[in-house]
Amino acid sequence: MTVGSSATRSDGEAKLRGDARFGVEIEAPGMLHARLLRASVAAAQIQSVDTSRARAMAGVADVITGADVANDRTGVLLNDIPLFAHDYVSYEGEPIAAVVADTAEIADRAVAAIDLQLSEQPPIATPAQALSPDARLVHPGCDTFTTTGAEWVRSGNVVAEVANTVDLGDAFERAHLVVEDTYSTPRQYQAYLEPKMALVSYEAGRYTVQVSHQFPFRVRDRLSQILEVPKSAVRVIGHHIGGGFGAKLDIGLEAYACILARRTGRPVKMVNTAAEEMLAAPCRANATITLRSAIAADGQILAQDVDVVFDSGAYANNGPALSSIPMFVYGSIYRATAVRVRTRCVYTNTAPTGAFRGVNGPYLVFALERHMDHIADELGLDRRQYRLDSLANDGDPMLNSQPMAGTAILREAFDEVERIAPWAECGSGQLRGVGLAATVWLTNPMPAHATVKLNEDGSLGVITAATDSGSGAVTTGVRQIAAEALGVDVEQVIVTMPDTDMAGYDAGSQGSRTTHVVGRAVHDATAEVRQGVVERAAQLLEASEDDLVVKNGQVHVAGVPATAVSLAQIANTATTAGQSISATASYATPSPPYDPACAPGMLFAAWPTPTYHAHLAEVSVDPVTGQVTVDRYVVAQDVGRAINPDAIRGQIQGGVAQGLGYALWERLDIDEGRYRQRSFETHGLPLACDVPAVESVLLEPGEEAGPYGAKGVAEPPIVPVGAAIANAVADAVGAPIDQLPITPEVVLDALERGRNG
Amino acid sequence: MQFVQVRSRAEALAALAEWGDDAQVLAGGTDIMLQCRRGQVAPGRLLHIEPLDELRRVEPAQPGARTSIGSLATHRQLSTHDSLRTCQPALAAASGMVGGWQTQSVGTLGGNIANASPAADCVAPLLVAEAQVTLASHDGERHMDLRDFMVGRRQTALQPHELITAIDMEPLPAGVGESYVKVGRRGAMDVAIVGIAARIGIDEGTVSLARVAMCSMGPVPLRVPGAEAALLESTLQAEDLDAAAEALVAAADPIDDARASARYRIRIVRGLLERAVDQCRMAS
Amino acid sequence: MEVEVTVRCTVNGAARELEVNPSAPLLNTLREDLYLTGTKVGCEEGECGACTVLIDGQPVDSCIYPTGAVEGREVRTVEGLSGPDAPLGLLQQAFLDNGAVQCGFCTPGLLMTLTALLEVDPQPAPDVIRRALDGNICRCTGYQQVIEAVVAAAGSAR
Repeated sequence: MTVGSSATRSDGEAKLRGDARFGVEIEAPGMLHARLLRASVAAAQIQSVDTSRARAMAGVADVITGADVANDRTGVLLNDIPLFAHDYVSYEGEPIAAVVADTAEIADRAVAAIDLQLSEQPPIATPAQALSPDARLVHPGCDTFTTTGAEWVRSGNVVAEVANTVDLGDAFERAHLVVEDTYSTPRQYQAYLEPKMALVSYEAGRYTVQVSHQFPFRVRDRLSQILEVPKSAVRVIGHHIGGGFGAKLDIGLEAYACILARRTGRPVKMVNTAAEEMLAAPCRANATITLRSAIAADGQILAQDVDVVFDSGAYANNGPALSSIPMFVYGSIYRATAVRVRTRCVYTNTAPTGAFRGVNGPYLVFALERHMDHIADELGLDRRQYRLDSLANDGDPMLNSQPMAGTAILREAFDEVERIAPWAECGSGQLRGVGLAATVWLTNPMPAHATVKLNEDGSLGVITAATDSGSGAVTTGVRQIAAEALGVDVEQVIVTMPDTDMAGYDAGSQGSRTTHVVGRAVHDATAEVRQGVVERAAQLLEASEDDLVVKNGQVHVAGVPATAVSLAQIANTATTAGQSISATASYATPSPPYDPACAPGMLFAAWPTPTYHAHLAEVSVDPVTGQVTVDRYVVAQDVGRAINPDAIRGQIQGGVAQGLGYALWERLDIDEGRYRQRSFETHGLPLACDVPAVESVLLEPGEEAGPYGAKGVAEPPIVPVGAAIANAVADAVGAPIDQLPITPEVVLDALERGRNG
Repeated sequence: MQFVQVRSRAEALAALAEWGDDAQVLAGGTDIMLQCRRGQVAPGRLLHIEPLDELRRVEPAQPGARTSIGSLATHRQLSTHDSLRTCQPALAAASGMVGGWQTQSVGTLGGNIANASPAADCVAPLLVAEAQVTLASHDGERHMDLRDFMVGRRQTALQPHELITAIDMEPLPAGVGESYVKVGRRGAMDVAIVGIAARIGIDEGTVSLARVAMCSMGPVPLRVPGAEAALLESTLQAEDLDAAAEALVAAADPIDDARASARYRIRIVRGLLERAVDQCRMAS
Repeated sequence: MEVEVTVRCTVNGAARELEVNPSAPLLNTLREDLYLTGTKVGCEEGECGACTVLIDGQPVDSCIYPTGAVEGREVRTVEGLSGPDAPLGLLQQAFLDNGAVQCGFCTPGLLMTLTALLEVDPQPAPDVIRRALDGNICRCTGYQQVIEAVVAAAGSAR
């Protein structure tokens, strides 16, 4: 059986030889190179943009600014993003002009020759500033911005506000204990190693866009929106992606390259520098979370009031959708009688934030789990036992009224962690600590489409627009599912790279959806191919379909292995007869039941295909320097069914490493709207010597709708990490830790408080 | 920018005599190439001296003599050199902390000194070893105490026509231990937030030799005589370390930067000094 | 304008005469003049190691190393670890078998540093492997399976 085995990835050899061509390596004959002029201040009025010197330079083909393109604002949810800053700059790094030239070097020199006159304004640097009553508007015309269809509550600098209406009654008056905490978390940069790129050719009314992108169909749709052409006028072809982690889910450079390709009549390639990426990537938003809980004497949470504010940066991106996520983190895995949540996403003069693995999960869970430790400490309860006693049961409603299901898996996850790392033995000793964190995470339900065809040599062709930005979901998972369904060796399955002309809609590599949703579509299509194979084999072998076994690349009569025909023979016979065997299937996860009225503007309305996770961290703290060493990290993760255990282990190890960076080392401080850290050296990505070997246990309770029972895997490993680490450090120092990153300075301050308090 | 390959020490000195300021000496390039790319320097000529093996010799001390190290000795060479790890352990250790393997493969001791970063890892160990630099030019050679050579942030006393050719240092005497402790945020690759080098000799429980230097605590890595005086002839009690640490802080002029605050740097000095001293004690 | 000179070196065992601007980063020369695109452009500041090549057996960040400096020296890139028609080398195969490749962008750099390590230390302990990788950032794997691959490769070489 290939499902459940650690099959090697189909693109592994090419990557190991250095042959795999990533987006940055794609070229076209006669291509020109374009570069952007980006704002070097966080907020300013644009007085003038004089491109005459740039235009006149030898080797420059064209220069465009906001004056040369449609000024319509577009976006994924809110139409607020102009192609170029036109009247005013709203973040450092915002594009103001583009130059296309024979070489990137010439383009860079021409960019430097553009005369930009700005009058700087004091930036709205923080959400708190943006929310203050007399704050100026980051976008003066924002109340006239339109949406792409959905509606939600927004006003002025508040890009989105999602709140449920829950009466907390007199819980806070009655409570035995009231615990209130405010937490703050930083921006986190995805730090993929391959920069964003685009290479576009324009011919006879069609744009062909070569990308390195997690969501090619989104590129198609956004270009259609921006360029005001039909979707079918855009063809997006995907290549190997050198990391994305959510940053490559919306367009980057593609629209500029399209416009310049059309204007020049030549293919145009654009590639960001590493410095530009760090400046303009759609990072995980910085946030402030306040939790106030009314607790009964036995620890029951009678009421919980949650306030979340996260920084949208200068544009909305997916912020309005992310504003729903707190509704699933709070009032879910831990029982609480009444939970009121208000989330606001706020404009500032900083780079627009977006999706980074786990989106706002890491900070929402950090706040929740720190708060749980705080409550347990106040009541003198064991932190682990308090969680177990508070766990929700099946049928308990989430805040959208969706009934919790599968909560037994969460209990099992806690048990598995306990088996590997017994709580009573962990974190003991001076300056050592242990922390727990848990979560329920979703599997993104968005649609997939797959065509599976039987090739004339008996191999299987799988045509999808799914992308594999490194997880192996396509190059192992989907392939293994197809191989399993047709009883062939996984090496016999060939999956295409994405091409929006040839493959049906796929919602890209996000939210751990590929194995589950694409896998399901591929499974269903392959099952149909199998049926076609069986029908043709029945004819060829003059046997009944029910008597046939499909295995190892051939079909034989049950019990009579010699009476067999190969898949190749079947394929050839079918093709010759004009009846090539292929099948198509689509899938999107049906929504779990929920109450649409629970909160207005809740764009993420339900939590489909939930998975359960329990994490434990052991740390030791250096009392001189305040540095934290992660001694041990344990994960128990519900995967439904492990299609490829090694690949899953890689996702857990990698997700935890990113979570450790978020918790301890990565810095992206914002100073008057500008980033303080502007290079890899000051940014602080985790190195091999920093990351321990994560011990992981996979729980396989199955999932009826999943291919062979598989659910989403790749996103959630990062979600509880900041929480587990913070709980462990707080335990080690004997004082609360209410912010991330837990820098050495934070630790030394906490140690002092712990000694004094 | 012209790339000039030189084949001998004499050729290098002749080129410097002719071009002076317009020539930027290039060894491993890990600092210079980056500064060129960032537009921080824009020399007319890069004088590539990396192939000059004659400037790469490492001569750990013979009895009574000083250790001599060619300016083009790489960090990798120094950190893996068996004899050097015995007679100049702090320098060998510091060399192994300059970036990662890739940096150490080509980065040189002379380059680390000439770049004169306030955080230069190799300079503090050199200072506690009373290092001298040999500066060669078309006119001859002169020697300078490293303390006097490090003039300011990114500034040395190197004249435009001069080349650092060698560094010599006092070998570690018997009964003396030394250490270099560096604080970053991660386990490696970080520019030092604070670095302390110490050379401590103990004679029947009493400190007979005390040399302390720090980096990333001001514009220049420096020796701190006040700290040394506090430790000399002491028995390394807590009060002695307190006094020494106070002297370090008094001599420091740290800044807030993207890596850490001045407050943090000052805060960790006492504990770090104790660590450095303890390592010396164990090694002596 | 920049003057081109002839730089003579060996690249992956083949003698080469490169007509190049000697100040140009070696990375650019390898990718653009020799079409050896396996070595990647990452951080462009000598921090991430995606551009790592071996020069006389030592790992070097080619993004900040001038092409002129390889005169008379031996350069090895990922393409040289195996031939186009040859099977994967031991280390490469171990990466494949142990799940050490995800997006693959850092992979060539890792392979070069680790090749240098195995040449000086054929049986490295996990801690030694981690330290050797100080200058190689991987954002996808969290490193553990990379280390296991090296241990496996060392084991199968014995």
